[in-house]
Amino acid sequence: MEFRNVEHVIEALSASRYIPSTEIATVVYLAAVTQKPILVEGPAGVGKTELAKSISLCMDRPLIRMQCYEGLDEAKALYEWEYAKQLLYTQMVRDKIHSVVDSADTLSEAVEKISEQEDAFFSERFLQPRPLLKAIQSEKPVVLLIDEVDKSDPEFEAFLLELLSDFQVSIPEIGTIKAKTIPFVLLTSNNYRDMSDALKRRCIHLYIDYPAIETEKEIVRLKIPGIEEALLDKLVRTVSNMRALDLKKRPCISETLDWAQSLMVLQADSITPALLASTLNMLIKFKSDAELVKERLETIIA
Amino acid sequence: MLDMITKFSACCKAAGLKVSPLEVIDCMSQLRHVDATDEAAFRTLLMANFVKSRRDQPRFLEIYKLFFHELRTSFQDHNEETTDDPDTPKQKRVKEIIERIREDLGMEAEALDNLLDYLGGDPEDFLSEVQEIHNMVEQRSLAIKVKSNMGQLSNRLSVMLKINQIRQKALQLAGELDAPGDTFTRKEIEAYFGTMLDRSFDLLTRDKRPDNVALKEVSRTDPRFLDIGEKPFATLTPFEMERTKEVTDRLVRKLKDLATRRYAARNKGVLDIRKTLRRAGRFQGVPLELHFKNKPLRKGKIVALCDVSGSVWSVARFMLAILYSLQECFNGIKSFAFVSDVAEITPLFRDNPVNDAIEKVFSESGIDTRMLTDYGSSFVRFRERHMQELSTKTTLLIIGDARSNYQNPHQEILEEMRDRCRRVIWLNPEPMNTWNSGDSEMFTYRAHCNEIRPCRNLNQLVTFIEELVL
Repeated sequence: MEFRNVEHVIEALSASRYIPSTEIATVVYLAAVTQKPILVEGPAGVGKTELAKSISLCMDRPLIRMQCYEGLDEAKALYEWEYAKQLLYTQMVRDKIHSVVDSADTLSEAVEKISEQEDAFFSERFLQPRPLLKAIQSEKPVVLLIDEVDKSDPEFEAFLLELLSDFQVSIPEIGTIKAKTIPFVLLTSNNYRDMSDALKRRCIHLYIDYPAIETEKEIVRLKIPGIEEALLDKLVRTVSNMRALDLKKRPCISETLDWAQSLMVLQADSITPALLASTLNMLIKFKSDAELVKERLETIIA
Repeated sequence: MLDMITKFSACCKAAGLKVSPLEVIDCMSQLRHVDATDEAAFRTLLMANFVKSRRDQPRFLEIYKLFFHELRTSFQDHNEETTDDPDTPKQKRVKEIIERIREDLGMEAEALDNLLDYLGGDPEDFLSEVQEIHNMVEQRSLAIKVKSNMGQLSNRLSVMLKINQIRQKALQLAGELDAPGDTFTRKEIEAYFGTMLDRSFDLLTRDKRPDNVALKEVSRTDPRFLDIGEKPFATLTPFEMERTKEVTDRLVRKLKDLATRRYAARNKGVLDIRKTLRRAGRFQGVPLELHFKNKPLRKGKIVALCDVSGSVWSVARFMLAILYSLQECFNGIKSFAFVSDVAEITPLFRDNPVNDAIEKVFSESGIDTRMLTDYGSSFVRFRERHMQELSTKTTLLIIGDARSNYQNPHQEILEEMRDRCRRVIWLNPEPMNTWNSGDSEMFTYRAHCNEIRPCRNLNQLVTFIEELVL
């Protein structure tokens, strides 16, 4: 499915259970029509990865996800030679080698003949495509999510440049492989380090912040239908207050949802300090954070 | 439209944003797809293309507001837009006045050109001048005996004087040129000049303080060493010093183990098929020896800048000791000490045992520890001499209290340093609640760091080192 306009993006994303702001929808629409990658920034847990999933859902394209980490190299991201197959092949060739050189009269001719076979080792037959190659070789256009690109090394980032601007990759042994279809690319970053200007230039930029209270309410309403309005309001405001504290890890949307879920299970109709204290594990992931929150229970609860 | 976008991009560039022609082209091609009269969409489009980092967003929005709202609305009279003449009578009058100012001031007017262009609705040069003043780095002149780091302020002052000069002149001329039959009043013209000059004053005096949301601010740590862990380094007794040293030694040993483990693991790479096949030739094609692609260890470099002035004296020794240990464990560390000048101390650390090395930093490094601390000038010196040490693999570690005796902090150099390296981590030996008091520039520098944390006791130090390497 292609997007018709910004309103259509909002509609389609909402239908696939993602509530976008107009800004997010505009950027997604622009990226879709101009086939440019989007570089998505924002704190952890605001729905950067979720956005990619929803786009793949509503565009009806498969999602190919590439998780970046330190030390990631092109063998893991792009392609790998299937060495087991290659080794087997050598064994087979060893048996056949007599038949290849049989017709040769001189030694140099035999060598020539063998060297003709050599390229066979590095042909697409032995190439095992990894996410990036899969994405551009796919017959059907896909959504390619390059997650946490800031965790990868500068070398890897440089290597992405060719892919992002020309949608092609160069494999030394084979040559350049051009994309069959242009994927919809999203790169996410938590700002662990700054990306290079060259990469930024190839992308359009989107910053997603923690959602406004109204948007967050809508998200909870969507994911947990039937939650009581008064409880919802209190719950979202409490989480929002908690985000203002000096925490090691601030609660994100998915934690709000977990908490809401557990409150539903407990059949709570209001949030009391005691209730918050006993369900704190759903929101807080560090012992020291929990202690800080417990100290300020009264002021946090909205 | 193209005209407007290129002009706007020029203004963005003048204000220090990085906008390349490609981005302008992208903008133009995307404009076909959205309704440009919908302001939210229009602004989102420009922002998605011109701003590529959250840190630049506030600056962009400021320029956007200035360019598309303040300059435009004050310069155009909406009710007169229907005439064929692009200039309304009021605009003509404004231009007349600007011309008169140019004539009246003669030679002097040249210095005022940027400001006058800005008043006429063309802010690019003026923005660029303001940007330059904000970014100014003084050249140390030999003629000036007194070391000063205040050039930015004095330059700002001269522009402020220019603004005042023009204000007086414009008000005077606005009165003189009042002609019968005008559809606007003299007050309107005066108001126009008033707001424009106020705004230029504002632009000039407001420091650009970029917002740094991605900043990792580590203010608390889990307590581990209950007795000595929370005591500030500065107040340790000799006995406690010994114990602290034991703990840090243990930590250093752990670090060394870790480094060895990394070396041991490096040979477990991917099978190197070419090499394996090549060696298999010796055994008639049977791959008896497997060869792996040995991945060279990625050597993260650390460049450390340590403030050794009097104000952090007690902590400086500790920090130097830690730096010494780090340098023992990893070979990619370069250490520098500074007060108002920078000196490399890597060789001192390399050739001497720890205590001697630290003594020598104070006696032999060539740093005058009696000088006033001046972070700005230290940064300038660092940029002159050692900037090449920073690369995309470098972690820049700055240790200091950011107290700069009210000198120009030169935060733009720190920004430049950050652009060159992988990340910037600032360790401050003062407690967090004092960071915005007195001459501390911590809040200025904070905008350009990837991570800041107080580091004044053992617990904080241990946590930091573990997170740095583990």
